[in-house]
Amino acid sequence: MTDLNKEPEQIQNPEPCLVKVQLFEGPLDLLLHLIKKNEVDIYDIPIAKITEQYIEYLELMKVLNLQFAGEYLVIAAELSLVKSKMLLPKPVMEEEEEDPRAELVRRLIEYQIYKDAATDLIGKDVLGRDVFKREYIETSAEHGEEVELVPVDLWALIEAFREFYQRRSYLWAEEITYEAESVTIDEKIEYVLELLKTKQQFKFEELFNDCSSRLDLVITFLALLELARTDNVDVVQDSPDSPILIAYSGENQIGSF
Amino acid sequence: MDLSDTKKAIESIIFISDQPVTVDKLTLAFPDIDRSQIRKCLKELVSDWEELNRGFFLAEIAGGFQFRTDPKHSEDISNYNKKIKKFRLSRAALEVIAIIAYKQPVTRVEIESIRGVDSSGVINVLLERRVIEIKGRKEVIGKPFLYGTTTEFMEIFGLKSLNDLPTLKELDEISQNLEPSITPIADE
Repeated sequence: MTDLNKEPEQIQNPEPCLVKVQLFEGPLDLLLHLIKKNEVDIYDIPIAKITEQYIEYLELMKVLNLQFAGEYLVIAAELSLVKSKMLLPKPVMEEEEEDPRAELVRRLIEYQIYKDAATDLIGKDVLGRDVFKREYIETSAEHGEEVELVPVDLWALIEAFREFYQRRSYLWAEEITYEAESVTIDEKIEYVLELLKTKQQFKFEELFNDCSSRLDLVITFLALLELARTDNVDVVQDSPDSPILIAYSGENQIGSF
Repeated sequence: MDLSDTKKAIESIIFISDQPVTVDKLTLAFPDIDRSQIRKCLKELVSDWEELNRGFFLAEIAGGFQFRTDPKHSEDISNYNKKIKKFRLSRAALEVIAIIAYKQPVTRVEIESIRGVDSSGVINVLLERRVIEIKGRKEVIGKPFLYGTTTEFMEIFGLKSLNDLPTLKELDEISQNLEPSITPIADE
């Protein structure tokens, strides 16, 4: 089920859309809204009334043809359960029984705490909105000759790969793939050389643009190591903090594989 | 090099840097100068710029130092440079950032149980934008990823360190905000 909480970014749209402003971030958000709207005490929620309004709202969403997430139904079910517990005559118990609403209240308050924290954060002087800093200006690609490039040592390269690999790792967090055809190092070497023919020089990370799996990534990296070892490519950077660049070494050994 | 020269050198390094300059990095650049002296220079620079009251100031950000513009001029700057990427984050993204910032390291399931909705899409967007990162895996069934905030996060929100996060509101304060401003309508 698609949901209305779906992030605009998620629909591969870098510009957040404004249409959803009035919508709720989720069932808890909706509940908090209803509690505020009705001006009731959060520790003494009139559960029947709030449940009724909550379900009305879901109906409205249906009428408006908005799809809503299953999570909304989960909370609706929870509300109904709490409501029924409230209606049941309390059995005479020795111990004081907990208010059936307590768990829900606890969750609502916790959510409100983080909603407030989010408001506090965005109320700060935000970089790129209120304050600005020096922008990174890329010079190495344009003025390659003027900049003294230093070779990157093997460990720095491996470290760069490790960092990159970790950063990408969420991509295959739930990846289950069947590798029908596996890529070979030779194929990747050709791919890298092909890239160099058209670009002469590119950033380390660009090398992995087309990689779809972990294996692909590792093999591409191995191909790079092989090319560097045989002096087909230069792996360089301007300074220890700047991006690693892969450049064609000029030594025409292409085809020796 | 006397200390006032060092101070100027440090100032120029910060001036050209696009990332906060840390004391650690400065000690590498000035191996002969004592760490405490470098700190002293930095402290003086911060107050110098504050006294000068110019269009930008030296701020302590993410464990380092960075020149930033005065918030007063944000509009003029955006008008001048249309290419500047406007900062944008959805409400959902902000909620997720807040939860991660205060509860890190935290798993997706923990985030979702607070928000009550699926948050995987938002998390991926934030990873992509490097506001958050994977800090490791939790030693429970399924070994889920643990998320935490990055240096970029502190840069975006202008934090010196994670201790600089605004304190979470206390329970009482929250329920006060939620409390009825007028007498509750009698129900049932």
